[in-house]
Amino acid sequence: MNNLATPRSFRFEDRTGLAANDWRKILDLALSSGADFAEIYLEYRESSAAHMEDDIIKDTSENVSLGLGIRVWTGEKTGYGYTNDLTWDKIRRTARSAAAVAAGPARAQSLDLRESPVDGRVYRALSPAHLAPFETRIDLVRRAYASCQKTDPAVKKVKATIQDSIQYVMIINSEGLLVRDARPLVKLTCVGIAERGALHEYGYSGGGGRVGLEYFADVLTPEAIGAEAAREALDLLDARDAPAGEMPVVLAPGHAGVLIHEAVGHLLEADFNRKKTSVFWNKGGKTIGTTAVTIYDDPTIPASRGSYAIDDEGTVPQKTLLIEKGVIRGLLQDKLSARLMNRPLTGHGRRQDYTDFPIPRMANTYIERGEQDPEEILRSVKKGFYAERFTGGQVEDSGKFTFSVSSGWLIENGRRTAPVKQATLIGSNVEILRQVEMIGSDLTFGLQTGTCSKEGQDVPVNDGCPTLKISAMTVGGRQ
Amino acid sequence: MSRPVREPGEDLALAERLVRFGRTSGADEIEVGIGESDEFNVDVRLGEIENLIEAGSRYAGVRVIRDKKTAFASSSDLSEDALRRLIRNAVGRAELAQADEYAGLAELAATRVDPAALDIFDPEIPALEAKTKIGLALETERIALADKRITNSHGASFSTNEVRSVLAASNGFSGTYEKTYAGLSVGLQAGDTEDLVEDFWFSNQIHFRDLESPEQIARTAVARTVRQLHPRKIKTQHVPVIFEPLMTGSLLGFLFGCVSGTAVYQRATFLADKLGQAIGNDRITVIDDGLMPRRLGSGPFDSEGIPSRRTVVVERGVLKNFLCNAYAARKLGLQTTGNADGGGVGPNNFYLQPGPHSQAEIIRGCDKGLLLLRTLGHGLNSVTGDISRGAFGLWIEKGEIVHPVSEITISGNLGEVLRSVEMVGSDLEFRGSICGPTIKVTEMTVAGD
Repeated sequence: MNNLATPRSFRFEDRTGLAANDWRKILDLALSSGADFAEIYLEYRESSAAHMEDDIIKDTSENVSLGLGIRVWTGEKTGYGYTNDLTWDKIRRTARSAAAVAAGPARAQSLDLRESPVDGRVYRALSPAHLAPFETRIDLVRRAYASCQKTDPAVKKVKATIQDSIQYVMIINSEGLLVRDARPLVKLTCVGIAERGALHEYGYSGGGGRVGLEYFADVLTPEAIGAEAAREALDLLDARDAPAGEMPVVLAPGHAGVLIHEAVGHLLEADFNRKKTSVFWNKGGKTIGTTAVTIYDDPTIPASRGSYAIDDEGTVPQKTLLIEKGVIRGLLQDKLSARLMNRPLTGHGRRQDYTDFPIPRMANTYIERGEQDPEEILRSVKKGFYAERFTGGQVEDSGKFTFSVSSGWLIENGRRTAPVKQATLIGSNVEILRQVEMIGSDLTFGLQTGTCSKEGQDVPVNDGCPTLKISAMTVGGRQ
Repeated sequence: MSRPVREPGEDLALAERLVRFGRTSGADEIEVGIGESDEFNVDVRLGEIENLIEAGSRYAGVRVIRDKKTAFASSSDLSEDALRRLIRNAVGRAELAQADEYAGLAELAATRVDPAALDIFDPEIPALEAKTKIGLALETERIALADKRITNSHGASFSTNEVRSVLAASNGFSGTYEKTYAGLSVGLQAGDTEDLVEDFWFSNQIHFRDLESPEQIARTAVARTVRQLHPRKIKTQHVPVIFEPLMTGSLLGFLFGCVSGTAVYQRATFLADKLGQAIGNDRITVIDDGLMPRRLGSGPFDSEGIPSRRTVVVERGVLKNFLCNAYAARKLGLQTTGNADGGGVGPNNFYLQPGPHSQAEIIRGCDKGLLLLRTLGHGLNSVTGDISRGAFGLWIEKGEIVHPVSEITISGNLGEVLRSVEMVGSDLEFRGSICGPTIKVTEMTVAGD
């Protein structure tokens, strides 16, 4: 029963019966009210999932998403329409809806379309999940589940899920661009709930990325994922409440990349700076952190969850330097902001799906490795908090951010002593970058399961960081 | 966008056809839902249109059960060929799941709710002119920006959505209804770059005429923003916390996750074993009601065709009911409450019953404490009930608001919070499908310096 008829490649021409000439007619229609740029984004995505709980494979699912979005610009204004009815009439109507943002005679015409090849080597899927038999995927779920369950009798409840998708996009614009991409994505996650008496604790782990199923043999096994979820839940059974108040904080390498994502990444997205709502808008070229801090966003890291060969506007992305030794050097640009700010493109225009127009987004954001030995960093703290695992974070344009720590340790006299649970760290990004005191040599990336939300759009991301010491931060525990 | 060319009932006929196709393809049970929506959204910023979106889309979702094994499928490709292929795949794929004695559609209910009685479709919304809609957003932002204390704008938005829902199932259910939404909002900043504060205000309704005016929304957004200017830090301490209505709503959202039948059978909630027990004091009564006319969370039936109803979740502190879809209900030996939402459980209108006190009275009665305005972050753990979030608030001394505070966190536990609600406000407003009035909680940990 594996003849799920998933195409090895997908040609929008075959599905719609439309060719380059037709697309140009649509672009010209979108430009007909006086807009100065028009773009068609076509998307076909097949996703599937299998889910295990209560010791059985509970269900499987398949989702097909097919549609197109048409965007036009007139000055700083964006008009957008989308449809999942890919008939000629509906597409024309969608173009007219988008064109309605402009009012006047046509001023621009679309250029001849020329297809540019796309280098897809950033995707590392030797055996793509969507082409594998469903049974193979289910087997991975079972293995993660079993591993979590057998770690300890205190693990009372397990859930394991595999999700994979293949997203085909084609982007065509009035500047003559025509590009296609086929983006694989897979993630295997496991949740364990451990119970002891009235105590219940939750653990989570996972892995994946822009990879094929070989990842679960070569890089991270389902057994390791299951065991790690169990381990977190079990550790928390012995944890006490986190401390409350201001103190030195050491961030464990890897998962703490979410701090960089929240505290720095979002506020260097170009739209917030163009609109001057980000606290960083007037700080380009200025020192905002200690010289230890260098931050990149790199959508070209092979196999990483946040990576892509082209962004959702057809731009080939670049490793983008955001902060160099404490000085702001760059922003994450999409086409609109780059044009209005007169800056080069960086390839960070992304969208959740065809129902959304692109906005500047992160891909894989990380803080560059430093020189300090992680042990030495720990030893430098007399009394403080070691934040180990995280559940997410949030930031607002004012620079205030939080991130949630699910587990950590008390640091006493340079050593991790008691395990602690559930704390929120809060700070302001302007202050925290000045308080990064030490950076470890152990740059590590996160779980490859992260999703970032902005303006209602979710996109896959990853982040990374080495061991970091923040000289003082407010820890919101209960003790 | 004008109304679609499809005849009313066409999608229902399609769904019924697909149910028959599923049965002949080998499904023991099958359920097909089709949703169609027409969306309009305009964002304006600094007096100009920033984004204008008009679009229509359709979406189908399918559940197939064969030999007590379940498969789901969904598609935005609504061609009948594509949907038939998806159903055939699902029937085949069901074999890969394992038999689950609790699997299956809901039982066909004996009663129906008349959609017309709920008054959840406003014919005025599809007829609104683009000019009117854009004008409302422009007007709201203009009034807000006229206030000298406002230094920047995140923009104002006006949006509408008209949704048609269709459901057909092999248990004999077949139904359809239409629902409208309208929303107006504005987001603002005040202060200079080094001391920036921000907030927003909004109104969401089923009926256009029920929306707050641009004037009301702008003034509220301005007041909410500027009251946070020049915050101070405070020392870490344990104090009473007063939750504003939106914050009570957020707390109730957390409670909803903890009383959802799915979380209960997964043992992912600290309330799993507490049915029939006191989980709060007698000031706490929580209702889920899908039958309230003109409310955002109302509808005639849930995603399994179960007619909406009113369910008392917590009555004077005692946990009376978990909210269930058919699957969770069977697992737990309970009844479905009409809360099926896709494959999971969702709220109808889920709210905390209001009490006798005005917010002003609650503040006046507080000797020292925090008026909680906003939270930031995700620190809610349904397994333990633990709460830990970044917070913005106003500091209260001797019944008076003395200054804003920021860069603090609040932490506590939902169980403790529900037991220590001292006062419940009278200011319940239905701004979303989960809401509550102002409440005062005896003590939480507020962490600062």
